[in-house]
Amino acid sequence: MRDYLLVFINGRRHLVRGADCWLTLSDFLRGRLGLVGTKIVCSEGDCGSCTVLVGQPAGEHLQYRSIDSCIALMFQLDGRHIVTVEGLGGSEELTPVQQSLVGCHASQCGFCTPGFVMSMTGLLEESRQLDEEDWPQGLTGNLCRCTGYVSIFEAGKQLGDLQVQSLNDRYPPETMLNELAAESQAPFGIETEIYGQPGRLFGPTRLSDALEFLKRNLSAKVVAGATDVGVQINKGIIAPSVVLDLNRIEGLGDAGIEHGADGPTLIAGARATWSQIETICREEVPELARIVSVFGSPQIRHMGTIGGNIINASPIADSLPFLLVMEAELELCSARGKRVVPITDFYLAYKQFDLRPGELLARIRVPLLSATQHLRLYKVSRRRDLDISTFTAAILMQLQDNRVVDIRFALGAVGPTVVRARKTEAFLKGKLFDEATMRAAANIAASEISPVSDVRGAADYRYQLTRNVLMKFYHQQQVSEAHEIIHV
Amino acid sequence: MSNVGQSIPHDSAVGHVTGRALFLDDLPLSSDELHVGFVGSPAACGAIEKIDIDAAKQIVGVVGIYTADDIPGEKCFGIHYRDEPVLAMGEVLYVGQPVVVIAAETKVALERARRAVKIEVRPDEPILSIEEAIEQKRFLGVPRQIRRGNPQQSISAAPHRLSGIFHSGGQEQFYLESQAAIAYPGEDGQLIVHSSTQNTTEIQIVVAEALRLGQHQVVCICKRMGGAFGGKETQAAIPAILAALVAHKTGRAARLIYNKDEDMISTGKRHAYRTQWEVGFDPRGRIVGLRTNLYSNCGATADLSMAVLERSMLHAENAYYIPNIEINGRVCFTNLPPNTAFRGFGGPQGMAAMENVIHAIASHLGLDPLEVQQRNLYGTLERNFTPYGQHFRRNHLPKIVSMLAASSSYTKRREEILVNNAHDPLRLRGIALSPMKFGISFTTKFLNQANALVNLYTDGTVQVSTGATEMGQGVNTKIRQLVADEFGLDWTRVLLMPTSTEKNNNTSPTAASASTDLNGAAAIDACRKIKQRLTKFAALRLASTKLALTESQEHVEFADGWVYDRRRPEQRIKFGELCKLARLERIDLGARGFFATPGIDFNRETGQGTPFFYYTQGAAVAEVEIDRFTGELTVPRVDLLIDIGRSINPGVDRGQVIGGFIQGMGWVTAECLVYNEQGTLLSHSPTTYKIPASTDVPRVFNCAFFDNDDNVENIRRSKAVGEPPLMLAIAVWGAVKQVLSSMNVGSDLRLPATSEEILRCLTLSGFFRVPVPSVNGSANGNIDVPAKNPVEPTST
Repeated sequence: MRDYLLVFINGRRHLVRGADCWLTLSDFLRGRLGLVGTKIVCSEGDCGSCTVLVGQPAGEHLQYRSIDSCIALMFQLDGRHIVTVEGLGGSEELTPVQQSLVGCHASQCGFCTPGFVMSMTGLLEESRQLDEEDWPQGLTGNLCRCTGYVSIFEAGKQLGDLQVQSLNDRYPPETMLNELAAESQAPFGIETEIYGQPGRLFGPTRLSDALEFLKRNLSAKVVAGATDVGVQINKGIIAPSVVLDLNRIEGLGDAGIEHGADGPTLIAGARATWSQIETICREEVPELARIVSVFGSPQIRHMGTIGGNIINASPIADSLPFLLVMEAELELCSARGKRVVPITDFYLAYKQFDLRPGELLARIRVPLLSATQHLRLYKVSRRRDLDISTFTAAILMQLQDNRVVDIRFALGAVGPTVVRARKTEAFLKGKLFDEATMRAAANIAASEISPVSDVRGAADYRYQLTRNVLMKFYHQQQVSEAHEIIHV
Repeated sequence: MSNVGQSIPHDSAVGHVTGRALFLDDLPLSSDELHVGFVGSPAACGAIEKIDIDAAKQIVGVVGIYTADDIPGEKCFGIHYRDEPVLAMGEVLYVGQPVVVIAAETKVALERARRAVKIEVRPDEPILSIEEAIEQKRFLGVPRQIRRGNPQQSISAAPHRLSGIFHSGGQEQFYLESQAAIAYPGEDGQLIVHSSTQNTTEIQIVVAEALRLGQHQVVCICKRMGGAFGGKETQAAIPAILAALVAHKTGRAARLIYNKDEDMISTGKRHAYRTQWEVGFDPRGRIVGLRTNLYSNCGATADLSMAVLERSMLHAENAYYIPNIEINGRVCFTNLPPNTAFRGFGGPQGMAAMENVIHAIASHLGLDPLEVQQRNLYGTLERNFTPYGQHFRRNHLPKIVSMLAASSSYTKRREEILVNNAHDPLRLRGIALSPMKFGISFTTKFLNQANALVNLYTDGTVQVSTGATEMGQGVNTKIRQLVADEFGLDWTRVLLMPTSTEKNNNTSPTAASASTDLNGAAAIDACRKIKQRLTKFAALRLASTKLALTESQEHVEFADGWVYDRRRPEQRIKFGELCKLARLERIDLGARGFFATPGIDFNRETGQGTPFFYYTQGAAVAEVEIDRFTGELTVPRVDLLIDIGRSINPGVDRGQVIGGFIQGMGWVTAECLVYNEQGTLLSHSPTTYKIPASTDVPRVFNCAFFDNDDNVENIRRSKAVGEPPLMLAIAVWGAVKQVLSSMNVGSDLRLPATSEEILRCLTLSGFFRVPVPSVNGSANGNIDVPAKNPVEPTST
C-alpha cells in the first residue's frame, strides 16, 4: 500500500501526500505549484476556464482528454499525466493552437483563453480530422463572454493546415509509463487530518478490496468521476473525510455491447464515462449517442460516469429516462455477494434508492433496441449544451399496423424521481397511433406528474412539456415515416 | 506604413494564450498577505438585530473581523448620490450585502470564520418588482422627461392607436474574472490598491474617503481585467475598500477575490425595465405620436441608475423620427443589489421597447415590420432632429437598412419562411431586421475628458499611460497603433503601461464606448507636443549647408522608424538616434496630453441639448427557428452591417461587434435572473445562469462594416464600437416576435424570449392549454384603444 499519489505534471513527477490528496487539481496547480495559467471562475465545471488535459496510459501511449481541473480531486488523478497551459509551448514558441488564436483575434480579456487552448489541444489529441462543426460541438465546455466564439472557431479551422505536435511527441511516454506501471498494482491508502477530522482515503485496484473497505467504513464517500462530488465539496455542501476512490479498480471502467440471444445489450462498468458510452453507442443506438452528446460538456463527459448518474439519483439526471424505458438492470455488490435490481424498482423517493449499506453499484446492463422499437429521447434546458435539464423524457414504442403494441414512457424533472408514466402507458397500449390518441394520452400524462417551479422553469412549463412531448413524438414519427416512404 | 487600420494582435494576446498574462489572483502572495472575505446579508431588507462574531474570532488564523463601525472615514460612497454603504449600517438593503469583513492567514481559516459569523436580521417585506415600487412610490430623484410636439393630441387624432406594456429583464455581466482587489500598505499611511476596475480614479477616491486619507496617499493600479462590461465601473468599489480597510488596519497586504456565486448574488446587473407605451400611427404605419413611460429597477441604492435611465430615454426612439413624442422616466428602488452599468447602459432597454412598438404596429396593420421601420427611419435631409433636439447628422441608416435587407435576401427569405411555417409540423421560423443608432459620449458632460502620459526613451521606444483600463476590448492595442503612427514607428516600439492613478489622475471610467476616442486623442496630444520639440531639433540636425538643405521644420518627416527631410529623404536619422541626441541636447522626451470632447452639452432639466459627439449606426437581420412543442430557440443565421467609421483595428473591432452581438443575444433569449420571494437570486452561477455557449452561435454569421469615411471630428475618422453591437441583437428578439405575431399570439412577449416564454405564448395560440397559466400576460397585451388612455401620467 502506498501512502502517496503519483502524478506527472507537465512531464515532471510529483508525489502527493497528506491533505494535498484531497485538494482539487486546480488548487494544487495554482496554490502548490504556482501554475496560475489555469484560471478559476465557477468552481463547478460549468465554464471550462480551468481546463487541463489528463493523460491516461493506453497501451504504449498516453491518451489525453480535457477535464475541468476545478472539480477534479487529486486522488482521482493517481497514475495520470496532467498537462497545463504552461506545459504546451516553450518560453518563446507558441503551439499552432496558440498561434492560430493570436492570429484570429480570438482572445479579448483572456481569462477564458488558457481553457480554450487546452480544450482545442485536447480535441486535436482526439482527432486530427476535425471539420467545421467539430469546433463548436467540441467547445461546449468552455464559456467565453467576450468574443462570441466566432474568432475561436476560425482559429480552429485554420489548424487544419498547421503541423500540430501530439502530446505523446512532446512528452515521450516511455519513462512515465514505466514508472506508472511499477506503481499501478499497489493500492493507495492515505490517512491524515482533513476538514478537522481524521481522514482516510483508499484507492484499491480490486473490487473485493473496495467492498471490504466499504464494509468497515459504511459512511465512506464513494467517488468515481466526481463531477457532482467535486462541486459539492467546492460549495461547502459536503466535506467527505473518508473516501473510497473507484478510479483504479480493474473492470469497473469497461463498457461494451454484447450480442446475445436476446439481442444486443450494453454492459457498462459503473465507472464507464459518458464519452466512452457515446463512442460505443454511435452505431447501435444513435439516438442515445445524440442525447449523450448534450450531457454536460466534453470535459464533464470525460470524467462523469454512468454509475455516478444513477447513484446521484437526481430527478433531473439526464440518462435515467433512457435507462428506465430500456429497463436496465443494476448489479449491486457487497462483501456478502451481489444482487441484480431492475432500475424501474430502484428509486424510492427523492434521492432515496434501493442501495443497502456496504453495497456498490458495479455494473449496468441495458438491453438495447430491437428492430421494431422506436426510441426518442428528449432533454429541454435553457441552453442546448452544458445545461441541467428543465425537463427530460424517453419514449420507446412498438407499433403494429399503426397500433401501439408496447409503450414505455419515462419523465424526468417532473417530480421527486424520474418516473415511468404507467397510466399513460396502460392507456396507450392497443390504441390506434394517431393524434387524437396522443392528445388524450397527454392529458393522462399530465395527471401523473407533480412538478415544482424552480430556477430552471415553472411547474406549468413542465406540465406543458409533458403534454407536448407526446405530440412531438407523434409528429416526429409522421415526418420520419414520410421520409422513409420517400427513400423507398 | 500606417499602423492604424491594421489588424495587429491584441497587446496581451500572447500572454492570454500562454497563460502568462496575470490577473489579480495570479499575483504571487506576499509573505504576510491576508485572505479577505465578507459575510453577506441573509435577508433583502430589515434591521440588523445582532452581529455575532465571537465564535469566528476564536478560530485559529483569523486576524481581524470588521463591521461598518470600524471604517474610520466615509461609511457610504456613490458618484451621484452618496447612499451606498460600504458595509451595512443598522439595516440591510439586499441579500448578500456585505455586513462583516474577515481577514485570515489562510483560505481555510477564512472559510471557517465566515461560516461562524451569525447575522440576525428582523426581516421586513422586501420590494422586488418595479410594480411594487411604483405602488409604494419608491422613486429615486425627480421624474425625467423628454418631449417634442403634442403627443397626446396627435395620438388621439391618429387613425390607429395601440398601447401596451413591455417588460425587459435584467442581465448579469458575467465577466469571467470576478470582483477582485489586493491592497498593499505603503509608508506613512499610504496604500497601493490593485483593483479589477474600470475606474481607477473612483477607487482611489472612495478608498481615500473611507480611510480618511488624502487622495495623494492612495494609488490605484489596474493592469487588466478579465472582462468587465460595465460591471466594474462602480461595483469594484466595495471589494477595493474592504481590502484597503484590512491593509490599513493590519499593516499587511490584503487580498479579496469574490467567488462567482457571491459576485452574482451581491453585485448589480443590467436594469430590468417596465415600459408603458401608447402610439398613434397612420394606415401605412408611419408613427404620428408616441408616449412612453420607462420604469427601471434600480436596486437598493442609486449607483448609476439615473444616468442609465437617461440613456434609455435618449434611445427610446431608437432609429426613428417621431414628430410628437413624450418620453418619461423613473428609477424605482427595490431590495435587490444596486443595478449598474452594463454594455449599452440603458440604451438596449429603450431601443428594445421601441422595436416592440414597431412590431405591434406591423402586426396590427398586417405589414412586414421592415416596411414600418423604413417608413419611420430618420431622414437624411429632413426628419433628422432627435426628440432631445440634437441634429442627427451623417445619418446612414436608410442606406444601411436597404443594403442589409438586400445582402441578407430579407424579403425572399421572409416569404419562404411564411410558406414553410404553414407546412412544417415540427418547427416555426421567423426573420426580422432591427436598426441601431447609438449616441457616443458620456451624457454626464464632465466625464468627457482624458489625459495621457507619453514617455520616449533613448532607444526610440515609447511607453504610454492613460486612464483607459484594459478589459479585453483592445483599447491599449488601438492607442498603441495611434501613438506608433504619430512617431512613424512600428507598433512593437510602443507599449501601453498599467493604468495607475500615479500617472494619470482624475480620469473618467473606461465606459460609454468612448475610451479610445478620449484616451487616444489625449495620447495623440501628448505625442504631438513631443514631436514638435523633436521636429525642431531634427530640422536643425538635418540642415546642411553642404547639401544646400536649409533648416525647415515643415519638411521633417517621421516614417518607418526614421526621421528625414522630405527634400533629401536618403539623409536620414534613426528615430532612436534622434531621441538619444535630443536627450544630450536637454530636450524633454516626455509629455502629458489632454482631451475634452468639444461641442457637447445636455440639460437634464429640460431634456434638450446635444449630448452626443456622433452616432454609431448599424442594423442586423436575424433568423430564428422554434420548436413548436418545447419552445426551444435556435438562431441559424444573422447578418450584421455596422458603421464604425474607419476602423483603427478591424480585427479588434470585428471581435467587439461579434462578441457584443452574442452578448446581446444572451440578453434577449436565454439569460434569466430568477429570484425567490425573499429576494435571493437563485440563478447565481453558470449552472443556473446560462450565457450563450459555443453551439448557440448562429451557423451562418455574416458581419460586415459599412464603408464610411465621414466621422471627421473623431480620431482618425474612427467610431466607437464597444457597446453598439450589443443592441443589434434586438433583431433576434424581433424574429421571435414575428413568429408569434404570425400565429396571432405574443403581443405580450417579454424579453428575454426564453423557451419557456415562447412556449407560454404558443400555448395561448390554442395548441394546448395549460390548466392554470402561471404568468398570465393577457392583461398586458396590445389592445386597440379607441377611447381610454391606459398610460398613467408619471410626470409632475
